[in-house]
Amino acid sequence: MEEILNELQSVRWDLLAPIAIVSFVLMIVAMVDCFKHGKTNGPQWVWILVIVFVNLIGPILYFIFGRRSE
Amino acid sequence: MGLIKTVGLTKTYNGTNAVDGIDLSIKEGVCTALLGPNGAGKTTTLNMLTGLINATSGTISFDDRYMGDRRKYIGYLPQYPKFYGWMTGEEYIIFSGQLAGLTKKEALSRSDELLSLVGLSEDKKKRVSGYSGGMKQRLGIAQSLIHSPKLLILDEPVSALDPIGRREVLELMKTLKEKTSILFSTHVLHDAEEICEEIFIIKKGKLIIEGDLVELQRKYQKPTIYLNTEEPIEDWSTTIKQKEWLRHMDVKKNKITVTVEDMDMAREALLTDESLRKLKINSFEVAKTTLEDLFMEVTGK
Amino acid sequence: MKQWTILFKKEFKESLRNFKWVWIPLVFILLGITQPVTSYYLPEILKNFGGMPEGVIMEFPMPTAPQVLAETLGQFNQIGILVLVLAFMGVVAGERNSGTNIMVLVKPVSYTAYMLSKWAHMTLLAFVSYLSGFLIALYYTYQLIGSVPASDVVSGFVVYTLWLLFVTTIVLLFSTIFKSTAAVAALTLGLSIILSLLSSITPELMQWSPGMLASHSYYLFQTGEANDGLWLSVVSTVLLVVAMLSISVYIFKKKEVATHTS
Repeated sequence: MEEILNELQSVRWDLLAPIAIVSFVLMIVAMVDCFKHGKTNGPQWVWILVIVFVNLIGPILYFIFGRRSE
Repeated sequence: MGLIKTVGLTKTYNGTNAVDGIDLSIKEGVCTALLGPNGAGKTTTLNMLTGLINATSGTISFDDRYMGDRRKYIGYLPQYPKFYGWMTGEEYIIFSGQLAGLTKKEALSRSDELLSLVGLSEDKKKRVSGYSGGMKQRLGIAQSLIHSPKLLILDEPVSALDPIGRREVLELMKTLKEKTSILFSTHVLHDAEEICEEIFIIKKGKLIIEGDLVELQRKYQKPTIYLNTEEPIEDWSTTIKQKEWLRHMDVKKNKITVTVEDMDMAREALLTDESLRKLKINSFEVAKTTLEDLFMEVTGK
Repeated sequence: MKQWTILFKKEFKESLRNFKWVWIPLVFILLGITQPVTSYYLPEILKNFGGMPEGVIMEFPMPTAPQVLAETLGQFNQIGILVLVLAFMGVVAGERNSGTNIMVLVKPVSYTAYMLSKWAHMTLLAFVSYLSGFLIALYYTYQLIGSVPASDVVSGFVVYTLWLLFVTTIVLLFSTIFKSTAAVAALTLGLSIILSLLSSITPELMQWSPGMLASHSYYLFQTGEANDGLWLSVVSTVLLVVAMLSISVYIFKKKEVATHTS
């Protein structure tokens, strides 16, 4: 038990946190665009779900395949 | 000297001539219509004039006074103008102006002017993706005018519009023709008659009729008599074949259409014709053929 | 030059509005963080959760800093390039297909300026994304594992930049030739994969190939010295980029802007 705790403390959370932050920012940007731009290939609500629930690559999938250009 | 002149302009697609040896001469200060049914080669002709496509053969020359790239002196509105939807109307006009060589400042003040001319001042900060068809058409006209072109080329500017939009654009064109020469294509003679001085009628890539609209109207205004009788009229019709006032006739059982040289003489002769009276006249109508009849005849089928 | 600037600004603004300038760099940054982190924690993770049979003692050596940088470029080479190609497959074809280029090219605009502005913008975005991802990776590698001499880092970075430049130029070329954006993406990815594969299978035959650049830059990270044939592939890549650019412009001029409808 103590060993695991020690190990958890040795993990560099300050270096891991940015991963979560960056993917969160990506998600927010994709969400904002999806709502504001409003034109998607396929139903918009599906893309919202993809953006929120498909970890990391959901927002990228949206930008590449979901966003219909004007 | 014409503003723009073509000699033997030809465009071939897969062995067929979409445009087949057209000689055009567009005069400065005049509104000209390129008339023809769909598929006659109007758009292809305009695209060659603007330089968007190259002629297979033939030449295009622009007025010598205007040197260099002729695109500098031409404003163009395609039939279905496609904008960058992510720009606002104003941004698009400024972008167009800068491409045409205006400074940012010039483009800005010119865009204000043009957007109010086409009635888009209130919507200029909105994204073009939210514009209606009529608004896009007007924005398209504004972008085509941004560099004060010598020649404005419009491809079917009113055909996609509803009656109100159509009226608006035609009125706008009437204002514009005071300042710049206009060449526009249409398949509706009426639109051409309303604003043009010159027309070119093309069919299947070939030029069929060209000239001053008023002159053409006069030329094709032939006095005509429509006669309808109770009894068959065929036999009688042979009796007038040699009359000097007759130009042409078209007989169908009880009906006859007589195109004549001299209306007064013809009317006198027909109404005093005893043998005609015996056929029991039902109706006798005097009318004039118009350019419309000719246009229908030429473009029909 | 003035028109070039206007067209370039338009490209830039467009990519700001559709967030390409946000999400593409973020993807590279994400790759730049995750690769060093995985390299660092992987041995530990495998040790704890690997489900190794009892008694088997396996040593997972900690990768060296140059190795981690090379692995990061490996990530850029797969996911990074995939993302760039998919994001830019319509760079020329898109405007042709939608017809938005008509009212631009009917203005007294040089076709060359039109093409070069697109190429320059796409390349700049790719470069900035790569740079930010790389800098982050460098920082993480330094924090977790160790440092690499600055000169080696810079030279390796520059060599790999050329490979990216090569890829974006292929995208431009194919996007000029083909109408279908799917074809553009498939062919660009196919060609870059083939070049990379051939370069690793038969390096002797592929000395000239741009596909060698990635391995040259790994070598620079590890040794700080140029591997045999580096200059040959650098020069041939530059020449190929110039040639492909010229061909793209030539084809674009030759192809007619307005397509025949009936």
